[in-house]
Amino acid sequence: MIVFSSTTKRYTNGFEALKSVSLTIEKGEMVAVTGHSGAGKSTLLKLAAGIELANAGKVLVNNQNLSQLKEAGLAVLRRNLGLVFQDHKLLFERNVFANVALPLEIAGFTRTETGKRVRAALDKVGLLNREKANPIALSGGEQQRLCIARAIVNRPSILIADEPTGNLDQTYAATIIDLFKSFNQVGVTVLLSTHDAAGLARLQCRRIEIDHGTLVE
Amino acid sequence: MNSWLTSHVRALTQALARMRGQPLATALSIAVIAVAILLPLALYVVFANVTNAATRLNPDPSVNVYLALSANDTEAKDVEKRLRGLENSATVRFIPRESALAEMKRITNLADLLAGIDGNPLPHAFAIKPKSNDAAMLERMRLEIGGTPKVETVTMDFEWAKKLARFVDFAQRIVILFGLVLSAAVVFVIGNTIRLQMLTQKEEIIVARLIGATRRFVRRPFLYFGALQGASAGLIAVLSLTGLTVWVGGEVNALAASYGADFALQAPSAIQSIWIIVAGGLLGWAGAYISVSMYWRQIESGK
Repeated sequence: MIVFSSTTKRYTNGFEALKSVSLTIEKGEMVAVTGHSGAGKSTLLKLAAGIELANAGKVLVNNQNLSQLKEAGLAVLRRNLGLVFQDHKLLFERNVFANVALPLEIAGFTRTETGKRVRAALDKVGLLNREKANPIALSGGEQQRLCIARAIVNRPSILIADEPTGNLDQTYAATIIDLFKSFNQVGVTVLLSTHDAAGLARLQCRRIEIDHGTLVE
Repeated sequence: MNSWLTSHVRALTQALARMRGQPLATALSIAVIAVAILLPLALYVVFANVTNAATRLNPDPSVNVYLALSANDTEAKDVEKRLRGLENSATVRFIPRESALAEMKRITNLADLLAGIDGNPLPHAFAIKPKSNDAAMLERMRLEIGGTPKVETVTMDFEWAKKLARFVDFAQRIVILFGLVLSAAVVFVIGNTIRLQMLTQKEEIIVARLIGATRRFVRRPFLYFGALQGASAGLIAVLSLTGLTVWVGGEVNALAASYGADFALQAPSAIQSIWIIVAGGLLGWAGAYISVSMYWRQIESGK
């Protein structure tokens, strides 16, 4: 469960990205956050992932107040989240397999268990035959699926995805949307941001709109 | 425990892979660090050997007492009696002026010169073996003997050894100072290497942090990298020093033998060698730790 309680986020340059936002996302729910560019969608997701911390109010993830967690506590929390970034954040010095293996290395999994889990995740996103490829050789859609494989390899209870269908054509976007739906169907809580109308229609989930840092009901 | 061990093995493997990935840069860095370790180490070995030799050169010190030239045999007997009565005298050996002259003629090439001098220029003398070499007791003994009538000069033939020991003490401090300065250099060299490593792996650090890596997890491979570089440099320094000792040792031994001294240049022992390698590793670890801590903020500001 993710809870935003009168949450405000102000950046160091004075820009207030979120203004006293209150929102609850139940366990196993799928929520799409929409809004124009700069509305505060990414900030909301970063707060949920503990990448940014609120200036006022609270953000609770699985009943943990993120503002009260220390560095190590936040790191442990992030290991239990699946994060899909808008710019993928893939490592081009590592091949596909090693990119997906990174969260498991961090969590201290053995080589054997890592191998099993990485292949299972790559299979899920349809990239099992590309495990030795360099991410730079993948198409935009494949790179996005690789990023999703890295997010799910730890079998997280919450998936947070920032514009996962951004810059993808309709066919690729539909595949990605279907992937998120399949994760949600097995009980994973999904919080994603998008401004893709077709994707939203395909998702068929609760929709939240943000405008200038405030929720529009 | 298993997870902890796995993450350490993985960090060590990553560090080794980084070293293998940049063989030339790694070799150059290790060479610079090895030189920085070798310099104070070589000085230490030289001074340790000199100290050892100085200790062995004068194992049985004595106090020499020279009487005035005017002192006759009776007065010499009186002085001898007084010397034997001293608290710190173990043995007192009388060296008559005639024996001293005969000995001088025998061991030097000055017989002809001495034959041309009227009379005997040498005084009666005594050689005293002290019971204790305690500095305060010897000084008291010197003052007591110096105040005896007809005693002209009192010398202690181990005073030069004390001066040498003082010089060695001073030199050892210089070695320690030199060692500290070059240890700092080792830390800086490794720190700079680590900084460059961090900058080239900036993206990986940022992504790892975003998906749940603790600072400790990110720092660990860099620490192993620094420690491996330091230990490798320590090993090279030990091997170089041993090689130098063998190479120079023969000449030093021959030189010492020509002065009648029994002196052999000693290379660092196995235990000392292990300590040097461990110290190199610890310096590398420290350099890496400082560097990672210093550049952490710079890297993370990119998130």
